Amino acid sequence: MTTTYPFEAESPSEDLTTVGTPAVRIDGIDKISGAAQFVDDIDFGPGLLYAAVVESPHAYARILSIDTTEAEAADGVVRIATGKDFPYKFGMYMEDRYIFAQDYVRFVGEQVAAVIARSHREAVRAAKLVKVEYEVLAPLLDPKAAVADGADLIHPELGNYTHVPWFFPEADTNIAHWRKIRKGDTEKAFSEADFVLEDTYHVPRYAHCAIEPHVTVSRLDHAGRLTVWTASQSPHTQRHLFAEALAPLGFTHKDVRVITPYVGGGFGGKAGVSMEIIGAAMATLVKGRPIKLRWTREQEFYNTYQRQGVVAELKVGVMNDGTITAVEHKLYWDAGAYVEYGANVVNAAGLSATGPYRVPNITNDSLCVYTNLPPGGPYRGFGYSEFHFGLESHMDRIAEAIGMDAVEFRKKNAIVEGDELAYGAHMNPSGMLEAIEKTADAINWGVEEQSDNPNTVIGKGMALFWKAPAMPPNASSASFLKFNEDGSINITVSGMELGQGYLTVMAQIASEVLAVPVDKIRVETPDTDRNPYEWQTVASHVTWSSGLAVEKAAVEARSKIFDVIHQVYGFEDDSLYLEDEAVKCKTDPTFSKPLSDFVIEGIQTDDGTWRGGPIIASGKFMPEFTNANSDPATGQGGHPNVHYTVGATGVVLEVDKQTGRIWVRKAALAVDAGRAINPDLVKGQITGGLVQGLATVLFEDMRFDEGGKMMNPTFTDYKIPTAFDIPDEIIPIIVEVPQPDGPFGARGVGEHTMIAAAPVIGNAVYNALGVRITSMPITQEKVAMSYLAKITFESNQEE
Amino acid sequence: MVISHEFDYRRPSSLDEAIGALAEFPGSARILAGGTDLVAWLRDDAVAPDLVVDIKNVPGLGDIVLDGTTLSIGSLVTFTDLIESEVIEEHAPLLSEMAETVASTGIRNRATMVGNICSAVPSCDAGPVLLAYDTTVHLAGPGGERLVDINDWFIGLRETAMTEDEVVTRVTIELRSHGGVYVKLMRYAGEDLAQAAVGIVAYPDLDYRVAFGAVAPTPFRSTRIENALRGSVLDEALVAEAVELVDGEISPITDMRASAEYRARMTEVMLDRGLWAAVGRLSGTGPDYGERVI
Amino acid sequence: MDLNITVNGEPWALDVAPADVLLDVLREQAAVKSPKIGCERGDCGSCTIIMDSRTVRSCLVLAIEADGHEITTVEGLSFDGLSQLQNLFLANNSFQCGFCAPGIVLAATELLERTPNPSRHDVQEALAGNLCRCTGYEPIIEAVLAAGDGGAS
Repeated sequence: MTTTYPFEAESPSEDLTTVGTPAVRIDGIDKISGAAQFVDDIDFGPGLLYAAVVESPHAYARILSIDTTEAEAADGVVRIATGKDFPYKFGMYMEDRYIFAQDYVRFVGEQVAAVIARSHREAVRAAKLVKVEYEVLAPLLDPKAAVADGADLIHPELGNYTHVPWFFPEADTNIAHWRKIRKGDTEKAFSEADFVLEDTYHVPRYAHCAIEPHVTVSRLDHAGRLTVWTASQSPHTQRHLFAEALAPLGFTHKDVRVITPYVGGGFGGKAGVSMEIIGAAMATLVKGRPIKLRWTREQEFYNTYQRQGVVAELKVGVMNDGTITAVEHKLYWDAGAYVEYGANVVNAAGLSATGPYRVPNITNDSLCVYTNLPPGGPYRGFGYSEFHFGLESHMDRIAEAIGMDAVEFRKKNAIVEGDELAYGAHMNPSGMLEAIEKTADAINWGVEEQSDNPNTVIGKGMALFWKAPAMPPNASSASFLKFNEDGSINITVSGMELGQGYLTVMAQIASEVLAVPVDKIRVETPDTDRNPYEWQTVASHVTWSSGLAVEKAAVEARSKIFDVIHQVYGFEDDSLYLEDEAVKCKTDPTFSKPLSDFVIEGIQTDDGTWRGGPIIASGKFMPEFTNANSDPATGQGGHPNVHYTVGATGVVLEVDKQTGRIWVRKAALAVDAGRAINPDLVKGQITGGLVQGLATVLFEDMRFDEGGKMMNPTFTDYKIPTAFDIPDEIIPIIVEVPQPDGPFGARGVGEHTMIAAAPVIGNAVYNALGVRITSMPITQEKVAMSYLAKITFESNQEE
Repeated sequence: MVISHEFDYRRPSSLDEAIGALAEFPGSARILAGGTDLVAWLRDDAVAPDLVVDIKNVPGLGDIVLDGTTLSIGSLVTFTDLIESEVIEEHAPLLSEMAETVASTGIRNRATMVGNICSAVPSCDAGPVLLAYDTTVHLAGPGGERLVDINDWFIGLRETAMTEDEVVTRVTIELRSHGGVYVKLMRYAGEDLAQAAVGIVAYPDLDYRVAFGAVAPTPFRSTRIENALRGSVLDEALVAEAVELVDGEISPITDMRASAEYRARMTEVMLDRGLWAAVGRLSGTGPDYGERVI
Repeated sequence: MDLNITVNGEPWALDVAPADVLLDVLREQAAVKSPKIGCERGDCGSCTIIMDSRTVRSCLVLAIEADGHEITTVEGLSFDGLSQLQNLFLANNSFQCGFCAPGIVLAATELLERTPNPSRHDVQEALAGNLCRCTGYEPIIEAVLAAGDGGAS
């Protein structure tokens, strides 16, 4: 049984002129000339005020008192706010968060108060003068401890929290959400399996490290209108959350405006609302003046969303012929102090934690556990990178145990179109087998390579990935489109240009439909007053969703253009087409009416009157086949995910046996983009995502002390790759098995490219050294000491 | 974050003026050269001086000169200056090899080698290399010039022999034909502080100098290992003997960057590979300066 | 204190405190926005400017240290049109979010001035102090190498 797609996107002719070409980014010139404006670059004049926050030094404590007297008397101070000024809850999927801590602090760095002053220096100085007294409590710093019997309740009121209907909190525990999948009979399947492997994998927390820190400028004008300039992936969702959080002050959506210019990298960290709520709230205290709140790099590490850590207990059963018969995957997520967004990561992972395989018997449990650590939230991959590490390591181990080639094992079990998913719906068209074969070829899988260097060994590894956008079933996109006198086009959307090339892709889609060159199409960054709605730029869904909205707007514009031509010249619509910025006619080759002649002015008829006028259009898209009806006890019965993007990753690495240093000599990654609207941009996601994924497994190493304080909140000690730390060669492979309901067949790829990086390294290290490492990161030190332990053990055995 | 501490700033145009400024603020003045350490410390509130004395306008501190066998490197010489100097390339390429491992170009264009040994963090890159050379530190103070042997320079954790009223004017190195190596353990190929470091100089008369960094509160020379090596041609047995001694010489810590065990184990590997590289370079058969041995 | 600097050829006479950092003064008082605030510790390179022909991390320079010096930023490089290097970055779609781009453009410009035909290793070395989280560096390195062999590739 295949899924039917109620909206069939416009079926492309194969003579595409723009879609499928590596068009130069329309924002490229802004970015290499210094013209690109980010929030911190906007000038607000001499009236700009600055805010600095007061943070909790404790991971878990009761606030006994806050004394602001000395701070209030400091130079330049305008106003100080604490939790008492804003005792309101809010949240994306669950309302468990506060603007400032109320009564309790739940992670080191949580904001307790904020100072507004006339200069940045004065704000920082005054913030140091705020005196807070705490009763320090024992923090819970790992999820297993937090679910143990008798553990302190970090959110005693959990049972009363408002949340989306498809979350299942366990009241009077630290389990904020529990997604269960029960399918078939795993107990029976394990007992009948020829081979069963069980193990636990540990994945720690990670930081997004966008180079632009979070920053916000907020102003409540004298008419009572709140405008917030933010570096955000989600202007409309931010407006919604600001309105919700400040509703007690009388705000509704019409009173709030969010403006987002270019964003210097998001990776999920700038989705939802994190520090911006502080700025928005503070603005309500100082009417008429804009207030800037900019995070330092340190705050960027510990007081924005982090990628949750997870303890993954995995059990897989197979038959001797390699068929997977059962998967039992239990995920304990270290979700942090507030899970309003992060609980959806847990949900998304729970639905798909079988990985891209055909599995008849499934028992999956994905538990969102409160801990006294920074709030977990959306991060590129949204839970999938986290569980793929264990899963794809595990698959390699099983293949070896039953004597099967790791690639053949995967091909045998890889999910294909029509297969039933864990929750009952069915798999979309996908090129997984093609991706596997091309990746394996690219790294010469099966051919062992020898190193010239006596200190090093060469190893190879493969891993698969899949992911579906994790969204509410009614996430939508919309677009306005208008022409200008010169035949150029403005498109307004509220998707965000984070660097992925979104504006360019939207322009290419419109260009294809309207035959206007890409460099005559502007796509404007969001302003919630002027640009129509977009849920968020997350989930790798905007090429698909916003692309459909833009395509529909372009199609509407085209039909209006044809209507005017028909009105004036009599040609039937189906005889008309657009080419080279003009309307042409199949039945009259001499007819060619340039768009610039009439898209504003209209066309003058024989009697001197005019027809037409400004060509404007709109488009919107919301999937109408998704629902969140899944049964809380089994996960069955719903259709929560629109479709999956799949692919494969392979590496050839060289490792120094003594130092543990790893050189990635070659990395190949194949992803099924459906249709690569701009192959350069897809390759950009492959290269960028792969390097970010490799960074999580090779270099990034977040550490907390026993008090729950992050020890390395700087680039000095939290290492993200430099130009030296990349593979010698990256081979990007674009597979195109069209997504039937995608614009020109496209589906998203932005997150997917990092998902398999961690297990592929684990697998290649095992191939090279015979050492299986089941915890991340797999650093030089871990490799060197694990290998040393192995050879020491082996030589002791021999003696 | 801004620098929230207030201080005065002076830019003297002579050495005497600089020394005079330090004397006006005894114990609460800081010398500013490259600034890549000091400005970061000011922002972190790690230091709170009343006066910052910018010595970049003091003449005569920025030269690299070889006079006979004495190489003189002024206190304003940056790591980039070392890398681009023909004198260094020809006579002491080990300094250039070390300089290339420091941070990145934008830092090296400002940071000075002398500043590096004045900040004297345990992982300072110049430490092991200057200790492996015959180096003298030249200081100017109210009492005139003072010389300090590099072996007397690092006296404690982030503490040097310099007093609060002095300015380092240059370091001098007595050069003779040699092969050397600076081996730096980093967490990846991009910029990093040394997690362990070994500086080695090998002379044709079978004299060896071995110094360590980042594995003790200060960089230090191991005369014990040097004595074990001295007078012998390098062979596997000799290297193994030297490696055997490492554990007793170093006192690495476990911190969030690396464990003591890994640092100790790697120091052994680095000494091993480093000795072969240094001796190889002496005879012209070793790896090129700048080629990493780990 | 009086600060006299030339920024992209234009003279500025400013009043700064000793504790004012050059990056902040340039952005707030000298009308350039391309040097960015990324980490304020000299780790990320997004604050990179050219001071008297050398790249420096402006977050680690006190504004007053720049007195009498010449500062060049990407706005100055772009004033008379894009350089060959910038055009190659553009054609190769080298940048994504663009936040690191000004720093990288300056670092690559400095490299090509000193080493007109850099090797891949030279390019990596020159850029190793500029962190980019989006691109994985490969399309940036390609463009710099292409600029190196006279744009022949």
